[in-house]
Amino acid sequence: MASPAPVAVDPMIAGRTVHSADRVPLTGVLGEPLADIGQAPRLLAVSALRELRKHADGTPPGAEVFRRAADLFADAELDGESPEDYVRRVTLGAGLTTTTVRLATAELTAEMRDFAAVADAELPGTDFGPGNRTRWVPRGRLFAAVLASNHPTPSSSWLQALFHGYSVLVRPGGRDPFTPRRLIAALLHAGLDPHRVAFLPSPHTVGEFLLKEADRGIVYGGDRAVAAWQDHETVAARGPGRAKALVDVVPDDTVLDHLAEYAAFDGGTRCTNLSAVLTTGPVDELADRLAHRLSALPVLPATDPKASLLVLERSRADQLEQTLTVLRETLTDHSARLDLHDPFVRLDDGSFQPRPLVLSADRADHPALGTELPFPFVVVAPWQERDGIAPLSRSLVLNLLTDRDDLVDRAVLEPGIRKITTGTVLPWNVPHGIPHDGSYTQFLLEPKGIVGDGRLGRSVRDNRGDSDETT
Amino acid sequence: MTSDFDSHVRATVAWHFDPDTGSPFWLGKRAALDFDPVREVRTAADLARFPDVSEELRTVPVADLIPRGLRDKPFRVYESGGTTGAPKRIVDAEARGRMLLWARERLTELGVPAAGDWLHLGPSGPHVVGSDVARHAAMGGGLFHTVDFDPRWVKRLVGNGRGDLADEYIGHLLDQAETVLRSQDISVLNTTPPVLEAICARPDLYELVRGQVKAVIWGGMSAGQETVRLLEEEFFPQATVAGVYGNSLMGVAPQRPAHPGDSHRCVFQAHPATTRVQLVDDDGREVAYGERGRVLLHLVTDEMFLPNVLERDTAIRVPPAPGATTDGIADIRTVRSMGQARIVEGVY
Repeated sequence: MASPAPVAVDPMIAGRTVHSADRVPLTGVLGEPLADIGQAPRLLAVSALRELRKHADGTPPGAEVFRRAADLFADAELDGESPEDYVRRVTLGAGLTTTTVRLATAELTAEMRDFAAVADAELPGTDFGPGNRTRWVPRGRLFAAVLASNHPTPSSSWLQALFHGYSVLVRPGGRDPFTPRRLIAALLHAGLDPHRVAFLPSPHTVGEFLLKEADRGIVYGGDRAVAAWQDHETVAARGPGRAKALVDVVPDDTVLDHLAEYAAFDGGTRCTNLSAVLTTGPVDELADRLAHRLSALPVLPATDPKASLLVLERSRADQLEQTLTVLRETLTDHSARLDLHDPFVRLDDGSFQPRPLVLSADRADHPALGTELPFPFVVVAPWQERDGIAPLSRSLVLNLLTDRDDLVDRAVLEPGIRKITTGTVLPWNVPHGIPHDGSYTQFLLEPKGIVGDGRLGRSVRDNRGDSDETT
Repeated sequence: MTSDFDSHVRATVAWHFDPDTGSPFWLGKRAALDFDPVREVRTAADLARFPDVSEELRTVPVADLIPRGLRDKPFRVYESGGTTGAPKRIVDAEARGRMLLWARERLTELGVPAAGDWLHLGPSGPHVVGSDVARHAAMGGGLFHTVDFDPRWVKRLVGNGRGDLADEYIGHLLDQAETVLRSQDISVLNTTPPVLEAICARPDLYELVRGQVKAVIWGGMSAGQETVRLLEEEFFPQATVAGVYGNSLMGVAPQRPAHPGDSHRCVFQAHPATTRVQLVDDDGREVAYGERGRVLLHLVTDEMFLPNVLERDTAIRVPPAPGATTDGIADIRTVRSMGQARIVEGVY
């Protein structure tokens, strides 16, 4: 696949590019130099915070800016980068297929055009009759986003913060600085005040510093990256989703097709993709059938339009292989027999593709349950009434395939389960207002009471001759 | 051809291995050497024949380090930071003072005021840097302000994942610094890059420092190229910003004045009279100019003899400045893992 020339990526603060002396090369999945990334050290983050704070007044930029930016992001050449360059860079950097990146672009831009509707759907009514209303206002001025590189769509989080009036500092993921960089370029071309945004490629420690200093923030990443922020009121911690399914029905072909799609949609890269299945039926049989279905996913380079599975460069593939070796020590591998390929296929272009993998555990509380990997990866385990709700918890999504209403009720009341799906429906493509993980809009905004008829009393001019008092 | 440093090496090695003047520590090693240090050490290159004894500095009784020829001098004990496990101990009477006189001239050349009061926001106690900075202030007739600063406690907090508590401790240090700066006239601030970052992140304190300090000296930990640029150009453009690389064992290597064509904004130079810093590859060979290598230190004074000390840092080898005889070193970085102990960098 033809790769574009290595691109220089540098921090940008209030529209000003800072050519950092601290450089880190980004090697693409083919082993080729893809980008030369200027890193923002902590002092540059201090500088950015200072500059953005000075100009942050909480005024929303207006929906039109986001609509224009969405068009530009999708279709325009921005600072020398065509939409095709962008897709290729994310594909080569993060290993996501071009299909995934194009789909993500469509989703992100659709959201950007529709942020007002998202907010309306997530906020309760604010009109309490004449003279009494509440306004939803930002809970602070500065927002920090510490992103990972697993998918482009999480950028929606900081775009929403910007939409509502925050000034935003973005620390991009190490393998995909391209998505936030292009979004910011699009926003600036669409007329966003440059003082509202900073782009700071940096080590994770600088990201943590931004989260501490900003008024609100969001952090994406693995368990280690988000653990410290789990109980932090001002930071939304978005760790592994550990999406699960409980199969308490006879798994016919419809159920198996559903589970395979739940695991493999978008290459299994989303936090909402299935990671674990608990079943009241025979574990081995279900695991075998799921492994068989997933083995049909073709081995293709990430740039092939039919490709759906992520690829990796050698070093990350080696790391992942070690992780899998450890997991296989206590779990049964159902894909080894049913998938014709090696667990890691070396493609002709030099990248490595982890094959879909179904493992099974012998008990519901096996610690590997909920392990989340960036490709179709599912652990199947037995579940019985006496195992209780605990094995189903710690889930961004729990899919309940059961006739038991009492189970559904218990799951709904369980705080560790963030979203419930019932039957063979998938958790994505839901209407605005269905929370992803609580109400994100209410995390960004707080209600403020406004009492009175909307006028703040007579002005000094109207009042001349009476007294100096104004209210 | 032999240089002044070669003659210095010959004379000093002979001193350390003379039964009348040498230290019990080195005299006790003589029998185990497969060469005669007095007769066979002719040039600096021969230092490579000695073993690296620095690990023993963690446990050796310090009295054994004092050369018999200097028994009457008042020696003090100093410890390394303790970043890599138990600290290493050295003894010093006057040698460090001579090096500091030289370092003072280098700092003055860079624009650090020759007189004026100093504030040191760094370790004191067993760490040599505290007394170094006190002596710098005294050499210029200035007063010396400082705060209690325990870097090992911070490292322990950071190493145990209690970064929040470490931040709180830094805040406590900065509160005290602010108290000093509010009523005292400070010309020179000496501290570490992480503390400077914390100062810059506190607007009131930052303005206070920027408003009065004429020189900011950073050391104790490495600072990246961009951080150095930001300190010089953006945060303290009105002051002289000078880096000092060093530790208890090697002494100090101040930043040298910039020369046209320098590859790095900040290039350090070690004390040429007593110290050689070589940058070596994994096989122990010196790397070429412009390449990165691991720091190999030789310290040769009448008080301490420390040949072949492999440090935890790496750096870029830079050609000597015009008129200088020793290499420059730039862009110091800490080797990530060494031996058993995990390296935790705190605030010093």
